[in-house]
Amino acid sequence: MNKRNHSIAFWAAVVVFLVAVLSMTQIVRNEYPFFAGYVILQFIALAVAWSILGGYAGYVNFGTNAFFGVGVYTAVALFKATGAPLAVQIAAAAVVGMTLGFGVGLLTLRMRGIFFSIATIALAIIIETFVMNWRFVGGAAGIQIQRPPVMAPFDSYVKMLFFVQAILVVIAIAIARYIQNSRIGRGLQALRDDELAAECTGVPTLKLKLIACMISGALISAAGAPAAMYLQYADPSSAFNLSYSVSALAMALIGGTAHWIGPVLGAILLGSTQQLLAVTISSEVNVLVLGIMLVLFVVGAPKGIIGLLRPRYRLRAGGKQ
Amino acid sequence: MKRRTFLGGAMAVAVVGYGSSTLAQQPPIKIGMSMPQTGGLAGGGKASLLGIEIWRDDVNAKGGLLGRKVELVVYDDKSSASETPAIYAKLVDVDKVDLLFAPYATVPTAPIMPFVKQRGLLLMGNFSFQVNSKVGHDMWFNNAPWGPADSWAASFLDLAQKAGGKNMALLTADQEFAQNLALTARDVAKKRNIPIVFDQVYPPNTVEFSSIVRALKAAKPDIVYVASYPPDSAGILRAVNEIGIGDSVKIFGGGMVGLQFAAVMSNLGSLLNGVVNYNTWLPEKSMYFDGTKEFFDKYTKRAVEAKVDPLGYYLAPFGYAMGQMIEAAVGATKSLDQKGIAKYLRENEHKTIVGPIAFSADGERKETATLQAQFRGVKDKDIEQFRSSGRQVILFPDKLKTGDLISPFEAARN
Repeated sequence: MNKRNHSIAFWAAVVVFLVAVLSMTQIVRNEYPFFAGYVILQFIALAVAWSILGGYAGYVNFGTNAFFGVGVYTAVALFKATGAPLAVQIAAAAVVGMTLGFGVGLLTLRMRGIFFSIATIALAIIIETFVMNWRFVGGAAGIQIQRPPVMAPFDSYVKMLFFVQAILVVIAIAIARYIQNSRIGRGLQALRDDELAAECTGVPTLKLKLIACMISGALISAAGAPAAMYLQYADPSSAFNLSYSVSALAMALIGGTAHWIGPVLGAILLGSTQQLLAVTISSEVNVLVLGIMLVLFVVGAPKGIIGLLRPRYRLRAGGKQ
Repeated sequence: MKRRTFLGGAMAVAVVGYGSSTLAQQPPIKIGMSMPQTGGLAGGGKASLLGIEIWRDDVNAKGGLLGRKVELVVYDDKSSASETPAIYAKLVDVDKVDLLFAPYATVPTAPIMPFVKQRGLLLMGNFSFQVNSKVGHDMWFNNAPWGPADSWAASFLDLAQKAGGKNMALLTADQEFAQNLALTARDVAKKRNIPIVFDQVYPPNTVEFSSIVRALKAAKPDIVYVASYPPDSAGILRAVNEIGIGDSVKIFGGGMVGLQFAAVMSNLGSLLNGVVNYNTWLPEKSMYFDGTKEFFDKYTKRAVEAKVDPLGYYLAPFGYAMGQMIEAAVGATKSLDQKGIAKYLRENEHKTIVGPIAFSADGERKETATLQAQFRGVKDKDIEQFRSSGRQVILFPDKLKTGDLISPFEAARN
């Protein structure tokens, strides 16, 4: 019963969120909040998607930028070849990201810990080099894209992208929440704590790792796909920028990886700080501020924001029972 | 005692307020831009920004534009394309700036081109390469001396053919700018029936070039066209110095990025001798126009404090020139109407500290003013030598020429 109430509350919140986003696109005239908001939403989706593999399964994926870039370039290639609409671009990016995730999942057969992380960095470099030599999508020089006309009820493309990214965030969170509360999540938790012990007690570790990799990859690539239309430009060094990996990881760690709300909080905090610093301090100092923030969280809150909040929650729950 | 201090202070404030009231009554004219201040393009971005700041101070000392002070609103785009759309949306929608300058370089500029076109805004370009060719915005004006897309390779091949070059080798980095150059070089060579005997594209992080240079030498080319980035430019020259390039080579260089920056130049020293490379401004007699010397006097002083390139030839004077063009256009049209300013910029020739500038329909220079210059008599470990004329002799364009090509390359190296 309690679980069901939780579900109702969650989906009600989702509906409220989407309605709020939609009405914001209809009411607010100034376009800047949508430009900045899009980036923050994109990072929420990335951080949540990252934590499915990195948080629940404990496999630290440094190749977020590989999946992100694959999403961007799937969209670019598809748009250039067929003029496919945004929804098709995103769906295709998710499929390609899932396939790539399957490949990465197979890597986990032989590699764990730091070696897995290094392999994912290498993956990003390999794919970036491939794209650099693929002239159809602009190669090393990058490619400029003309957006198609915007669809009703939106009056600008950025507002539409903002709404689309909000939907992607909801999808990412819903999937992360489902995994967390299901057998898959408990299995992943078991293999994070001790993979060998989990295997011995009958947890199908390889199957679970493959599922986690594929879902995480598909979500990251899907979140990357609209970036092509957002920037109206794609070049390998921006699309495969390591900062996507670092940010996604930092956001998930700052928020905490044990619960899906952690990466969401982390991404909102770090993403808005980044956006705010970019237009206030705006110099080398903003890199320093972010660095200090990371250090403070690692030292002061090793389990992230939710780690700080949890003891209180537990106390309250214990009191009621 | 305390009350007297307070009164004195109040009076002082009142007097100062009264004195500056003519300027203070009018809000400042805000010019907005993003500039790479961190990341790979930061070195160039900071030098460019200093050039623009010197212009701002000069124009404010003269009373500002239309009697209003000029204020710059600058944000850091971290050298990345993904940061600029939000920054320019903020500049336009929140900061309500009056005019826009583009960030330094192609990558951060490309994503804002569709935005300014859609909003009908004037954008002064800052050293990007062919960023408007597909967008076709008629209110875009690039301060860089590039000119038509193929002129870069054409000028180098002109020099090479005059020196008797009949076939070409291409050595290019697998990156945006170098590949753009390589593309036009191949086109121009095809048009002129110059066979390409060697065409090597290397990955951006290559450090060891001896095997590539050996292969290049074995192809026995007359013309060697190199399009490289700072770290590889140095690596290539070191390998050429160790292995040699053969007596067949008449001319070497063309599009090597990095050889314009003081740190790289002083680091390479005598290895530079003989190389013919592109540049934008050099301390040669033909390059001094109205205000050029005064600009560099100010730049040299402020560069130390700002910790940017001590020479600042490559970007800084063009940042200043960008401001001068706006100053002239706003002065002539007596308004901040962007359409009017764009019309004025398109239809007139503008006097700047880097020479006269006229634009063609795509917002690039009508004629190229990209220099091809040959390094001569360069010694090791000395930045100051590059301030005197004769170290980089200008071979192209003819209007600015200060010497002739020494060929073959081996002869020019000594």
